[in-house]
Amino acid sequence: MDPNSPAVAPPSRRSFLRGAVTVASGMSAAVAALSPLKELDSSDLPTLDAFLQKHYLELGPGEMQAALERIRNEVQKRWDVDPVVRDVRPREGVEFVYALNLSRCIGCRRCVHACVAENNQSRAPELQYIRVLEMPLGTTDVERGNHHYDHATVPDALHYYMPVQCHQCANPPCVKVCPVEATWQESDGITVIDYDWCIGCRYCEAACPYWARRFNYAQPEIPAEELNPEMSYLSNRPRPVGVVEKCTFCLHRVREGKMPACLEACPVGARKFGNVLDPESEVARILREKRVFVLKEDVGTLPRFFYYFDERYPRPADEEDAALGQETAK
Amino acid sequence: MRFWIPATFLALAAVFVLDARRGVRLPIPPASGVVEADLALGPPRIALQTPTMQNGRYLMACSECHALFPSPAVPRETLFQHTHIRLSHGLNDSCYNCHDRANRDALVVRGGETIGFERSVELCAQCHGLVFRDWQAGIHGRTSGSWETNSPDRRRLRCSECHDPHSPAFPPVVPLPGPSTLRMGPPSTPDPHGQHENPLERWKAPAGEPPEEH
Repeated sequence: MDPNSPAVAPPSRRSFLRGAVTVASGMSAAVAALSPLKELDSSDLPTLDAFLQKHYLELGPGEMQAALERIRNEVQKRWDVDPVVRDVRPREGVEFVYALNLSRCIGCRRCVHACVAENNQSRAPELQYIRVLEMPLGTTDVERGNHHYDHATVPDALHYYMPVQCHQCANPPCVKVCPVEATWQESDGITVIDYDWCIGCRYCEAACPYWARRFNYAQPEIPAEELNPEMSYLSNRPRPVGVVEKCTFCLHRVREGKMPACLEACPVGARKFGNVLDPESEVARILREKRVFVLKEDVGTLPRFFYYFDERYPRPADEEDAALGQETAK
Repeated sequence: MRFWIPATFLALAAVFVLDARRGVRLPIPPASGVVEADLALGPPRIALQTPTMQNGRYLMACSECHALFPSPAVPRETLFQHTHIRLSHGLNDSCYNCHDRANRDALVVRGGETIGFERSVELCAQCHGLVFRDWQAGIHGRTSGSWETNSPDRRRLRCSECHDPHSPAFPPVVPLPGPSTLRMGPPSTPDPHGQHENPLERWKAPAGEPPEEH
């Protein structure tokens, strides 16, 4: 071998160009694949503070104050509204229970929209914690319920109405499946989510037998004039895109003694809420005295949301009962 | 010739660019447009707790008229006064079942005892015992303000604060718009569960049409 010749032959012009074209086109394909990132708005990304924030249960008092201040600034920047952001902790000796009177509910959906207004849920796309099922008389099979009933007036004589929301289970499957422990049950029985810790895997949404969790597919849109400025970390502060959210029995209200927004909106008094550990509370009496059932008892979730019903009284549109009353009158 | 390697890369680049230009758009339905006024917070009816009658600009007690003009012994449907009152209370279809015949500013309970309007709950209770029992326990009726049983903010409504005593059934109401969420679909979505055939209900199929065999 000639010692003067190089160990590796220099590339020919042809092979160099071929390699260059391959690399250049490969790089352009890679850049093109990443080009949707151009549409990313800086507001879509978490700030460094949010990214480095610890889990809710590990936050010290100072760190919590910093987190609340950060949320306040974010709301101010996006909506130009000055909110009050707080962290409301559970009370001792309180376990919240909800009871709903199926004999009284008229399916007017006031609770659904009061909840949306109170909890700063997205208006477009719509996101609602409460579903009102229109059920045919004579069955509690939720598979036969209809969400999209559209009568001129309610109640319809041939149906009854069953609102479903988070049941705040004592044995919650959604908590068990969370891979990052972003959701847990508090001491007053309310299951909460740290919306800054949730990774949006939606396991909990799949695990919930009551269809009570909601995923933010898109950036929640709330008009500034409809934003509720009374916010709390674990409940109704605006949630980011890509996290799961849920009903918290309005914990920012109920932990200060108020009633949940859905109850305050109910025009017929079908909704009952209280501390079940207080034997004088309305819910404790309902559990003692009324015929009460829970949804899907067989799945073992031990819900804190009870349905009950009254002795039957006729409704104005109930023709069968009206005829019965006339016979009695004669 | 290995021209297919760069050709594939360039084709991919074209696909990516075109796809990105088309963009990812979620099928976001418009907002329902429900405003706070639609929620009509509060009880369905503001009670008329005092026996007064508004006539033009004058507010007068019932007795002021009834002392001058005695009402017929059996006032029935053909009233020429109080025409705004629609009496639709089942078998209870006579004024004097509840109103005291002598003292028009008071109510009367079974046995002839006269009670003031502020004690109207007792009047309702003498027929509606089951509901009254539930109401006493807080099971029937609206409780708002606070769930704490000893809170000053707690407000319990009495019978006639929700029910019109002359026509106690709630009037039908217009429901607020139904869900149009990404998960449940727009309002026109046929309910998928309603389409399922329930094998336990085949006996309901009309005679002459045997259920389909699969």
